[in-house]
Amino acid sequence: MNIVVCVKQVPDPETPASQFAVDEAAKRVIPAQGIAPVVNPYDPQATEAALRLRDAAGEGTITVISLGPDSARDAIKHALAMGADEGILLSDPSFEGIDNFQTAAILAETIKKVGIPDLILMGRAAADWDMGVVPIGVAQLLDIPCVTVAKAVEVGDGNITVERVLDDGFETVETTLPAVVSVSNEFGEPRYPQLRQIMLAAKKNVEVWDKESLGLDPASVGSDNRLLALEALYVPKVESNVEVIQGDSPEEKARNLALKLREAKLI
Amino acid sequence: MPRDHAADILDPIAKEVVNNVGVWVDKEVVPVASEFEHADEFPEPLVNGMAEMGLFAIKIPEQYGGLDLSFECYAGVCIELARGWMSLAGVLNTHVLVAWAINAYGTEEQKENYLRRMVEPEIRAALSITEPDAGSDAQAIKTQARRDGDDYLISGQKMWVTNGQRAGVYLVLTKTEMDTTPPHKGISAFLVDAGTEGFTVGRKLEKLGYKGVETTELSFENARVPALNILGGSEGSGFQHVMSALEVGRINVASRGVGVAQAAFEDSIHYAQQRTAFGKPIAQHQAQQLRLAEMATKIRAARLLTFDAARKKDAGQRTDLDAGMAKLYATEVAQEVVLEAMRIHGGVGYSNELPLERYYRDAPVMVIAEGTSDIQKLVIARNLLREYQI
Ligand SMILES: Cc1cc2nc3c(=O)[nH]c(=O)nc-3n(C[C@H](O)[C@H](O)[C@H](O)COP(=O)(O)OP(=O)(O)OC[C@H]3O[C@@H](n4cnc5c(N)ncnc54)[C@H](O)[C@@H]3O)c2cc1C
Repeated sequence: MNIVVCVKQVPDPETPASQFAVDEAAKRVIPAQGIAPVVNPYDPQATEAALRLRDAAGEGTITVISLGPDSARDAIKHALAMGADEGILLSDPSFEGIDNFQTAAILAETIKKVGIPDLILMGRAAADWDMGVVPIGVAQLLDIPCVTVAKAVEVGDGNITVERVLDDGFETVETTLPAVVSVSNEFGEPRYPQLRQIMLAAKKNVEVWDKESLGLDPASVGSDNRLLALEALYVPKVESNVEVIQGDSPEEKARNLALKLREAKLI
Repeated sequence: MPRDHAADILDPIAKEVVNNVGVWVDKEVVPVASEFEHADEFPEPLVNGMAEMGLFAIKIPEQYGGLDLSFECYAGVCIELARGWMSLAGVLNTHVLVAWAINAYGTEEQKENYLRRMVEPEIRAALSITEPDAGSDAQAIKTQARRDGDDYLISGQKMWVTNGQRAGVYLVLTKTEMDTTPPHKGISAFLVDAGTEGFTVGRKLEKLGYKGVETTELSFENARVPALNILGGSEGSGFQHVMSALEVGRINVASRGVGVAQAAFEDSIHYAQQRTAFGKPIAQHQAQQLRLAEMATKIRAARLLTFDAARKKDAGQRTDLDAGMAKLYATEVAQEVVLEAMRIHGGVGYSNELPLERYYRDAPVMVIAEGTSDIQKLVIARNLLREYQI
């Protein structure tokens, strides 16, 4: 059972809101001082799913791929420390500021080069932009099925059964392999890396592939070639006004509240 | 002071390990520590988690199945554990220092027999020096081991044995000769297995803090222990072996001081920004800023002293002076910082809803056990006078 897991390094979602800032002119997030980036919180769940499936199959290789700056190596090392086998970092100055279409294209290209595995796992979304579209993009480009927001994954003979999380419940779907599956937090807690695995992971070589080694068309990558235009980036101003509803009796207060809510078109 | 708890660690693997242990502490320990502590309950699931990560094998050489990580790494791990709950670093302490002593001074047979079983750990280890009438003055112990054929018969009373109830092996300091000068020449350390006939684990002592981990009495009544179980195989070196192992223990306790102080400081700097008095957050009152600045500076100094001692031990240098300074300073800082934290928190700090009261009760044992602050100063002064002898 060969599996590719895609992981991403993101700004720590636990960063206090007061330290979150954007450069509106440059349309960029300003990294919070002294708070190290972390592995996207959904990704260890994808790695955990991969480990369980590999170990249940009794054979196979888990290759971890991350697209990002050099520091994204830490996200790969974390997956290796959990027990994944190999890591590839996709890093190139021209990858900065790219959109989800380009990310999906670069990942798909990498996966083709590695050899299409039985299964490609990712987190349900990245905690920075929270879009969750890259798994679908990769599946589209590789022309294989995609199942999103998985709670449980079971591999059969050439197919998989996936329990998906819906807004109002769960559904079980089945599809053929190879496939892309995005894993949700409902999958369960990922394991903690053991010290021995951390030591082994630290010694493992993480290959770095850039634009050239991937043979990408220069006209297809880079922030100038985005298909998705970022019009504006700003921190929304949340204002809250407190109004105490007046009235002589509870009934009158309730009536006044209802009128207010209707006025505001809330009911 | 860096927010990154592994920032002062130089060895990259140690950094990784410490970061991972820190994540475990934040997720698994911090939410439940006070509950276990208030119940004075042994934190079985947390200790199992530590074992699964491999923490008990941290200083055991690879040839016996261990991880052989650096003391720098060990110090960082203990800081992180203590940041969550000081007792967890105590569960580790006697195990690691006994394993270290077995590896440093044990016979090949002792290493094979014990170290392999201490990796998982199938057995945990305790250290027993102190007696009702001998603490700081460890040479004054009365527990006696008399030769009887291929065995020794041990008789005597021991006190204050951390991990006493759950250990599988005890490193026990005894007198094999009563009237030697100096007295330490007659002292030998034995590896005593749990369940040895004539050896019983007594009551669990009730304590102000340092709960969850049990501290017990031990009693020996003609407990028969093979002569092969003298650490190192021959009589008369026990005192030196155990004192040397205590340096490892002092790095552990210094780290605990740093961890507890760090936790108290972090709680304080958060609280000081939330609590308002006289129209502004108390963190905006200069008196509180001075307090926070002093706390952070002392914690950082303690941290650097601790890592410095650990790195010297990694380099194979003599560390009684450095480990002594680190232990003295870091534990006194912990004691000061928890009190300052209490002042910053005001009344709420005194409530058992917050972990601060636990840090406050946990701090004093660190200035006592593993050699009191007075004893550390004597060790430091002895070294200095030797170094500066005219
Ligand atoms: C919770 C806890 C756990 C412990 N765990 C263990 C354990 O696992 N194994 C173990 O063997 N022991 C353990 N101990 C014992 C601990 O190491 C001793 O308590 C410590 O060494 C001090 O000894 P004492 O209590 O007999 O105090 P004493 O030696 O009686 O000291 C009393 C006071 O006299 C001072 N003093 C003593 N000698 C001098 C001197 N020469 N000059 C100046 N002042 C001096 C001391 O600094 C102290 O202030 C533990 C203790 C506690 C509280």
